[in-house]
Amino acid sequence: MTITVKKVSLKRTASDQIYLPAILKGLVTTARHFFKNTLTKGMGDVDTIRYGEPDVNVEDYYPQRFRGVHRLMHRDDGSVRCVACMCCSTVCPARCIYIEAEDRGGDEEKAPKSFVIDELKCVVCGFCVEACPCDAIRMDTKAHMHPTETRADAVLGKLDLMKRGTQSVAHQGGVGADFRTAAPKADPRFEHDPR
Amino acid sequence: MHASFFATLLSVLRRGMGPWSALLLPWVLTLGACAKDPAPEQVSVRAEPGSLIFHPDTEPLPIEVVNHGKRPVPVQGFQITGNDWSSFSIVEPINGQMLVPGRPLRFSVRVDAETFRGGTLPSAVQGETRELGPDEFREGEAVLAFRVGEETHEVPLTFEDPSWVTATLLPGLLKVVLLVLGFIMPLASLLLWQERKQSAMMQDRVGPNMARISLGGLTIRLWGLLHIATDGLKMFFKEDFIPRRAHRAMYTLAPIMALVPALVVFAIVPFGDALCYERLLDVLAQADVDQCAAGRGGTPLQIAHIDVGLLFYFAIASLATWGATLAGWASYNKWAILGALRASAQMISYEVAIGLTIVGALLVYGTLEPHALVHAQLDSAWGILLQPVAFVLFFTAAIAETKRAPFDLPEGESEIVGYFIEYSGMRFGLFFLSEFIEIVFVSALVTTLFLGGWALPFEMFGASGFAAPWVAQLFFTLVGLIIGATGVAVWRASKHARFVGATMLGVGVLHVCVALFSLMTGWGSEVPHVVVVLVGMLTWGVKVFVLCWLQLLIRWTLPRFRYDQLMSLGWKGLLPLSLANIALTAIVIYALSAAGTIDPEPTDAEGEAAAAQLGATP
Repeated sequence: MTITVKKVSLKRTASDQIYLPAILKGLVTTARHFFKNTLTKGMGDVDTIRYGEPDVNVEDYYPQRFRGVHRLMHRDDGSVRCVACMCCSTVCPARCIYIEAEDRGGDEEKAPKSFVIDELKCVVCGFCVEACPCDAIRMDTKAHMHPTETRADAVLGKLDLMKRGTQSVAHQGGVGADFRTAAPKADPRFEHDPR
Repeated sequence: MHASFFATLLSVLRRGMGPWSALLLPWVLTLGACAKDPAPEQVSVRAEPGSLIFHPDTEPLPIEVVNHGKRPVPVQGFQITGNDWSSFSIVEPINGQMLVPGRPLRFSVRVDAETFRGGTLPSAVQGETRELGPDEFREGEAVLAFRVGEETHEVPLTFEDPSWVTATLLPGLLKVVLLVLGFIMPLASLLLWQERKQSAMMQDRVGPNMARISLGGLTIRLWGLLHIATDGLKMFFKEDFIPRRAHRAMYTLAPIMALVPALVVFAIVPFGDALCYERLLDVLAQADVDQCAAGRGGTPLQIAHIDVGLLFYFAIASLATWGATLAGWASYNKWAILGALRASAQMISYEVAIGLTIVGALLVYGTLEPHALVHAQLDSAWGILLQPVAFVLFFTAAIAETKRAPFDLPEGESEIVGYFIEYSGMRFGLFFLSEFIEIVFVSALVTTLFLGGWALPFEMFGASGFAAPWVAQLFFTLVGLIIGATGVAVWRASKHARFVGATMLGVGVLHVCVALFSLMTGWGSEVPHVVVVLVGMLTWGVKVFVLCWLQLLIRWTLPRFRYDQLMSLGWKGLLPLSLANIALTAIVIYALSAAGTIDPEPTDAEGEAAAAQLGATP
């Protein structure tokens, strides 16, 4: 195999020296962008997410696996799904989850007496969700952690986390409907995938 | 144009334009059915101009009898009747001659102004009279009548001595309001927003879109058009800062010096042909409009009719750079003064190029007066065809004069921030605004010099309307289709733009309806004067706007020059090229006039007499 060397002439040609052909080429390019973005559906090539605009639900633009603030899911009877197995707090690289277990009564599993996540420490890696054996902790709220006035306000307790949660349709033990089957709606104004 | 385009077209028609388009079609059909079939006229004789207006210092006025028909007819029986018939007389009468189509007969009418001088007039108060002074003239009127076959044609003759107020002041104010307040200031403010929005669209961004007004649940956003207002408000309420060691008077004067010349130069720009006050609804010939342009019975649509119009432009436009220079010097800031030095150096380099490029156009058209320059272009060809090199050079140099990228060295926001670095609030706003007014002015000047001013291309639209009905049909169909298709595209583009898109489609449909109307009635070659004037101003405005758009496109496409590159482009590029353009133009004109292909330069009567004497001497 031979190596070919392409020699580029650095000498300026006449069309380089009068600038105009290159200028026209540039103008045509920018004008094409202008007309495409002005006159085609969904503003052409503009990929900007209209974050914060009043009629735009920004959650529509988030990917399915976007990791937001944690939440704790409920059982059918409204009690917490968590069985205090400590998987999440064990796997957490930031050590921001603190669980204290208690007896749920009867033959059932344990339950967390307190379940505390320090959102300021959390690195939003999502390992806790991966580790959870019973679909109790999720990060699919699509909400960002709101700024707080004190550090203590950023530490979420069990009730805070359960307030964001809903009843999980998954069967205890991992059999049942996929909670991610319902895909997020894309903004109908955008033909292309907004992501 | 794929299927979904038509699907959208249908949906726009159904949801946006439905009732309107349903109303339009029967309207057109009714109009077409009611209008009577245009009979092919064999004889159609007109006097051009259709009325003569004399002032005390008016020379004998030429008038032409033109046959627009098909066969020759004799014209005879010329006589002047009316109250003041004795004051008017016909020079070089043409009584009894045959009038051949395409060969107008020309004669002149003279007035004896002395007969109107002095005397008594009935006063405004009933029963009283007023004695006129020796320098005052009373008004007078007569009728010039002549017969063509069986028909009698009448040309009103009017003598008047308008006061300075009615002849100069009121039309002047009208034109200032029309042009400056009605066009330049709105367009300049629009450009403030358009600059940001257009650059965003060119760079695949969204651009300013958040300014909005909420009126009882109805939110108006208009793609951020209201940012014009918010920007203005912001500038008014910012701190008005003056550096401690700045020269206060000069510092205050500088923004005014930048803004005022930019506005004043518009005085010479013709934005239409002429407006005849009293004959707005008549169909006029070019001769009528020329009479109005001379100030008799109308006014030219140009604020100041100066014979040395373009020299006036050079004189005033150079003053605008004083604003930048003064601002830099008075700010007591080293960056500002660097910007000021750059501005003045750039002005000198590019002013020379501008002046020399215009000389080529002057050689071709033989006038410095913008209004006459446009007429000369309509008589021959647009400047961009006869002087393409001058067009490119002039546009380049003029963009450099506006001190914007790629020639924005005086501003140089990445290195010295520029001559207005110390300015804030509305003082800065004035610099900013004057920059945009200069953009509008450059566009207006290029339109006047190279793009035929207010005229539509191909001589399709004259003083009395379209050249022929089929031209009108073609024009309205094409324009209607373009506007309508753009409207549909805008409708599709965004939910917020639906109202605008539907409106544009409605305007497009209206154009097509006018074309249909013309097709059925043969309308198009005879348009009322007021419509002609409006179309002229609209054409001029569209040309100016497109050139403004082009300037913004250039500004956001090209990278900046380095300072030495800027200077070498001006002195080593534009200057020699413009000199070469002058030389080439002169040689071509000399060769063509020597070969008899074109008329030599028009000479005045004295020059002709002198030339005749010279020719007779040997």
